[in-house]
Amino acid sequence: MAEDLVLDTAIRDWVLIPLSVVMVLIGILRYFVSKLMRSSPTPDAKMVKEGQVVIRARNLKAGANFIPPKSFRARRFYFSNEENGLLHVPKDQAQNPQAQMFSDPNMAMDMMKKNLSMIIPQTLTFAWVNFFFSGFVAAKIPFPLTQRFRSMLQNGIDLSTVDVSYVSSRSWYFLNLFGLRGLFSLILGDENAIDDTQRMMQMGGFGFDASKSLSAEKDGLDIIQHEWALPRFEHRAESVLKKLVR
Amino acid sequence: MVTKTEETQLNQLENQVENGGGGVWEYLCLVRKLKVRRSEIVLKHGLSILNDSGKRSALGPDEWTLYEQVAIAAMDCQSLGVAQNCIKALQKKFPESKRVGKLEALLLEAKGMWEEAEKAYSSLLEDNPLDQVIHKRKVAMAKAQGKPSLAIEHLNKYLEVFMADHDAWRELAEIYVSLQMYKQAAFCYEELILTQPTLPLYHLAYADVLYTMGGLENLIAARKYYAATIDLTGGKSTRALLGICLCGSAIAQLSKGRNKEDKDMAAPELQSLAATALEREYKQKAPAKLNLLTSALRNLKIS
Repeated sequence: MAEDLVLDTAIRDWVLIPLSVVMVLIGILRYFVSKLMRSSPTPDAKMVKEGQVVIRARNLKAGANFIPPKSFRARRFYFSNEENGLLHVPKDQAQNPQAQMFSDPNMAMDMMKKNLSMIIPQTLTFAWVNFFFSGFVAAKIPFPLTQRFRSMLQNGIDLSTVDVSYVSSRSWYFLNLFGLRGLFSLILGDENAIDDTQRMMQMGGFGFDASKSLSAEKDGLDIIQHEWALPRFEHRAESVLKKLVR
Repeated sequence: MVTKTEETQLNQLENQVENGGGGVWEYLCLVRKLKVRRSEIVLKHGLSILNDSGKRSALGPDEWTLYEQVAIAAMDCQSLGVAQNCIKALQKKFPESKRVGKLEALLLEAKGMWEEAEKAYSSLLEDNPLDQVIHKRKVAMAKAQGKPSLAIEHLNKYLEVFMADHDAWRELAEIYVSLQMYKQAAFCYEELILTQPTLPLYHLAYADVLYTMGGLENLIAARKYYAATIDLTGGKSTRALLGICLCGSAIAQLSKGRNKEDKDMAAPELQSLAATALEREYKQKAPAKLNLLTSALRNLKIS
């Protein structure tokens, strides 16, 4: 049954290869367009400060045993007291990122630009593929596959009798969409690769919630038991010197 | 931080460049990447590329980066004329650029025109209030004019936002020490120890500050930090060894008449060990000065 399906070489020349080439070209075009539209982010003083506070609190947590108890207590109070501690986030101020986005039109604008440069070419190419090549069997993989791959490789063909190793044109489009990332990172340089999958992830839980990490650091600081490590160092110094003198 | 392999690579290239072996551009790139300060060599060889129009145009767009690098190196070497020419070329190419604006302000500063430089920096800060370099330049300017209290003010303002910048903390600590504000300096050194607990340098400096402040509690703490320095350096730090001896005698003087059972006070073994280690080191490295050491130790009633 599988043997009698012979693919025309014209399909290779007019569907398979053009589709891949178009995907690559669109990817490159999109890279340049997004580069043009990208506005350099102006960091917000509050955000920067919150990040720095978290770093410093982490340092305090890690190195707590190296400073005298009095200094440690003073610092902990400075970070985590309930009135104006640096890590203390008042309840009403802890706005959710969604609201934050609406309050800052720049952020929304940025998101929109990013999404536009991603969604528009994708819908266009998808529509193009759908219109011209729907129902095509564009390629055949040289090894057999199980039924589970049918939805991945034969998108757009609703025939259960076709062997799974045949790839429909729409599926070829999807394979290209997700599989060309490596090629882009070769062409455009490592950092510039357009990473669709990562962008989609970002869209899911965008924005980093500073208040959450701040309160996490605060809890971490509160439960720390301070034990000054320096008294031990005297003994260690003694043994070091003993070895040296001998 | 410059790693060991990078440093050897840099030195190798420098040797090659200095002896006319080529690789000048690679050397300049490496200097830029590692952010090291080799201004004289950069100026000499960078300028030779810039003056050779063939070589210069071969760089393509990197030409402008080189102009910037040479301008900064020239200001470091007080060749203000060269710097001015470089900046002029950059200004022609990028008339509205903030980065060139920074260079111009830097040139004003190098010429000692403080007020103009201050004005230029302030206007740059208005555009981008979070520019760390400009904040640091302002501190440097205050220091260069001999106004440490102004420098402290700027640094404190800077650290309010960028509080994880340990270089700024270190600068602040050193300024405080120079003004004999030891309590504040001690705070800064604590902060530095927190950021890099395994660096003996900060332990040593903190111990020095504690010893200088005096008082029994501080002296005991100072001895502990000297001990930590010894442990971290493997006993190689002469200053820490001397510090132990000094702390020991000071503690003994202060605690005279109190009960000696408090075992936190005296660590006689550590002291005598430090003294012997010191003597040994002097014998090996500077036998002529051994007499000075022994008499000093005798005055401290240790050996």
